Amino acid sequence: MYICPNSLNRDVLKREFSWEFICRGKTVKHNRKYLDPIFLSKLANMDLVARCAVEGFFSGLHPSPFHGFSVEYSDHREYHLGDELKFVDWKVFGRSDKLYIKQFQQETNTTAYILLDTSKSMSFAGDGRVRKIDYGSFLAAALSYLMLSQSDSTSLILFAEKVIKNIPPRSKRTHLNTILAALQYNRPEGRTNLAGVLHTIAETTKRRGLIILISDLLDDEGDIYKGLAHLKFLKHDVIVFHTMDHQELNLDYEGLIQFEDLESRAKVRAFPQSLREDYRGRVAEFLDDLEKTTGKSNIDYCLLDTSEPLDRALIAYLAKRKRMM
Amino acid sequence: MSFIQWIFLFGGLAVAGPVIAHLLAKPRFRRLPFTMLRFLYDGQIESRSRKKLRDLLILLFRCAIIVLIAMLFARPILHTKSKPQQTRSVYCLGLDNSMSMAYTDGTESYFDKLIDSAIDYIRSAKTDALFNICALASGDWSQGLSKEQALAEVKALKIETGSANVNDFISSLNRVSRSEHLDDEVSVLVLSDFTPNILKQFVETEKPAVVDKMDYRLIISPEPVNNAAIIDAHVVSVIDGKLTANVTVANYGRVKQNRWLTARTGENKSAPIDINLFAQQRRTFQIQIRVDIAGPEQFFLPVELSLSNGDGLKEDDTFYMGVYGPGHKNVNVLLAGNGADEMFLLKTVMDTISRKSSYDTLQIKQILIDDFALSDLKWADVVICSAVAERLANFASNIEGFIKAGGRLICFVKETAATEAARQLWQREVLAALPGKCIHERTYMQPNPCDSRAFGVENIAARSLSNYRIDKILLEGYLECQQHPDSKCLWQFQNGLGFVYLKRLGIGVSILVNTSVDDSLGSLTKSNASVAFCLYLLGKENQIGEYCFARNEQVVLPLSEKQTSFAAQKQSWVQTCNGIKRRAAVADSFLLISDPGGTGWIKTLGKPTMWAGINLPEGETDMTKPVASELADIMNRAFPTGTERTVSAAEVLNNRKRTPIWKYFAWMIILLLLAEPAVANRLKR
Repeated sequence: MYICPNSLNRDVLKREFSWEFICRGKTVKHNRKYLDPIFLSKLANMDLVARCAVEGFFSGLHPSPFHGFSVEYSDHREYHLGDELKFVDWKVFGRSDKLYIKQFQQETNTTAYILLDTSKSMSFAGDGRVRKIDYGSFLAAALSYLMLSQSDSTSLILFAEKVIKNIPPRSKRTHLNTILAALQYNRPEGRTNLAGVLHTIAETTKRRGLIILISDLLDDEGDIYKGLAHLKFLKHDVIVFHTMDHQELNLDYEGLIQFEDLESRAKVRAFPQSLREDYRGRVAEFLDDLEKTTGKSNIDYCLLDTSEPLDRALIAYLAKRKRMM
Repeated sequence: MSFIQWIFLFGGLAVAGPVIAHLLAKPRFRRLPFTMLRFLYDGQIESRSRKKLRDLLILLFRCAIIVLIAMLFARPILHTKSKPQQTRSVYCLGLDNSMSMAYTDGTESYFDKLIDSAIDYIRSAKTDALFNICALASGDWSQGLSKEQALAEVKALKIETGSANVNDFISSLNRVSRSEHLDDEVSVLVLSDFTPNILKQFVETEKPAVVDKMDYRLIISPEPVNNAAIIDAHVVSVIDGKLTANVTVANYGRVKQNRWLTARTGENKSAPIDINLFAQQRRTFQIQIRVDIAGPEQFFLPVELSLSNGDGLKEDDTFYMGVYGPGHKNVNVLLAGNGADEMFLLKTVMDTISRKSSYDTLQIKQILIDDFALSDLKWADVVICSAVAERLANFASNIEGFIKAGGRLICFVKETAATEAARQLWQREVLAALPGKCIHERTYMQPNPCDSRAFGVENIAARSLSNYRIDKILLEGYLECQQHPDSKCLWQFQNGLGFVYLKRLGIGVSILVNTSVDDSLGSLTKSNASVAFCLYLLGKENQIGEYCFARNEQVVLPLSEKQTSFAAQKQSWVQTCNGIKRRAAVADSFLLISDPGGTGWIKTLGKPTMWAGINLPEGETDMTKPVASELADIMNRAFPTGTERTVSAAEVLNNRKRTPIWKYFAWMIILLLLAEPAVANRLKR
């Protein structure tokens, strides 16, 4: 691959790569670096984020089992007048002196709907590292890049209390720019109304497809399940990427802290050290419930810690995509 | 529980500090945006209650520490009831060892009889009895003595040169009978000659001592009392080397006295004077004695007056007297004014003073202040200026030297003060105050000076000034003066501003009077008080005096100006009557000696040597025998018996065992100080 140096933030690249790498476009040895959210957050350009993430991901894989599921041979039939000559199988004609048309299976490209939660809670970044919204955006960008490179129609839906932006599905490569621009200039605002949004999407989506939900799922659990069930009822394939910050999972703070809710502005003053054990237990219980409930509904659930690289998410997506074929 | 320094309990109010801090203080916390608040709520309730508990406990700890510290400083004492004891016999003996007990009737002295009587009394007491013995003259108590110890104590008793002090004995007896020996049988025995002086003290007793048993023994001779005493003496004059004194002699007894009175000072002895006194008669005799006085210098003489032997008590036959002769002195007074009219009144006053003084000769010279010359300054001992005139600026350094050498500068002020002269004198620290702007406001003087015993002024004259109603003299105005830090404001106006300022410089003084000698500001020199006021300003009057004090009086010797400045720099030492060298206190211009150490002479050890005579108090040796019935009544009133000893709550408390417990408070404070951070940290987790 070749990455144009002009499109990169030179300072970041100099720090993270050798200049040689950038000019020759060779893969780096530690390709997981491309998937590191902290690294990705330093790249200003979302296009670059997507490329680094996906190509970094693929450079670490073995010869891919996922290649070529776009056009497949299906059968032969006799040539009829009006058929295009370009589909005539000339090899068969040479052996049998008869004209046969090479018949292909219809294209299997699917429509993917990437649902990205842009509520205020997604702006949380424990320890000042990567915000959940950024992590989700990197993931959405990488997935979009991947899908569009495979000619899948890709749609991006940004939502908080309601759908904020809905980019309809397209499979053209240039569609990626639209998606990436939407991701880049997105700002987290408003409260989460995940259930309502899922119902809305279920009702408005015409074609069945792959629903990729990227959210922190901070809403009523029962409502979330109902929304996801609604999508499953409409025969959508659903992947839930549950993005959580490391501090949200572990509560590793010390001293007297006044916690202020990003969405409701509610305040709680406490010593986290005295609450930590109970908190972790409750969060684990919540995550277990989510996993079990989504598992029952045949929904793929993937918990993502924003401090971890993106590869887990991409693997989960590809596994799901393979199952769909 | 009670507290010795209970005032410190008010320190406990400091608990308001932590309480207010607790109420007002906001906890320091970090604000943090978060998302998963619903998972925090349950734990938060627990955490908040724990925090409240922690805060409350810490507050209690701190309040307790403050209260305990306050109580610690107040020095708490725990009162516990002492163990009940068996009733004992306690004998309190009041033994009169005053000087009158030295009287002898030819066989043995009263004091010997008293000792014998006391020994008999002690021997007749129970074996396990306790004895408290009080020597009435010295006021010394020996308490809790056994029989043997009491006998030894009585045998060791000696006569004191003072009078018996009955009040101390009775008040101590009250304390003993009401608190220390509440459950014991307290008997009191007074052995004395019961002279009128002692009886008077018993009669005047305000709070009688309640005892279980009272007894007294009248120690007198059956023979008529034979005693005469010199009770007073005054120096009349010292002229032509002869000292004349009036001596008062009293016959206190019933026997006619035919004695010889003589005076002695140093080697000189007067011719004896024949004295004849009938019973209870008192007469004054004049006696002359040659004294060795060289020239017109001041002198101090010890004069001893004595009666020849012939009565029962020889200790009161001698009278000691210190005589002070000022010596003749010519004092040159320079009156510097703007005109003859202005200084007319002042000159008249000075002439009057000059005629009045028997020892000083006042030479008065009047000049115009504009003609003031150095020769005038050299001639004068006292310079009185009607104003701080411009001319004085030329002689600022000379005036400074004049005062330092012992001169006396008295400046009146005028409405238009010469600022340059005043400034120069002020810079040389000559002026006691710097005159400022004139305030045309009618004012009056305070009736009394601020310091009635101030150095450098005539204090008797100051007192006499009050008799002239000087607070009624209207002054038309005064100047606003800035007082020198080293000077003293001796007299004020009624509005609080300074009227007379005095500053010492070397061994001389500078006085600034905040009024004028003419009509422009003040009316003082025109008033009747003008002579007394000028005497006040001129300082001590030079006159003869005698220093004789009673044994129970504080000795006060006036010091001259030179002596005062010397004594202020160095410690002043005296030799008391018993020959002990002691340090004496100097207050203003007086030497104070509180305990003369017997009768005889006190003399200063510096130069010149001053003498003061210490004698028996008047009436101490009045040996008039008491009437038996009156004595019984007086003693019964002073020591009532047969009534229950009333005990107040405070006295009951006094009877209890008192244990100081502040060390426990200190330990509690230390423990709390250690526990407080531990508790705070423990609950924080």
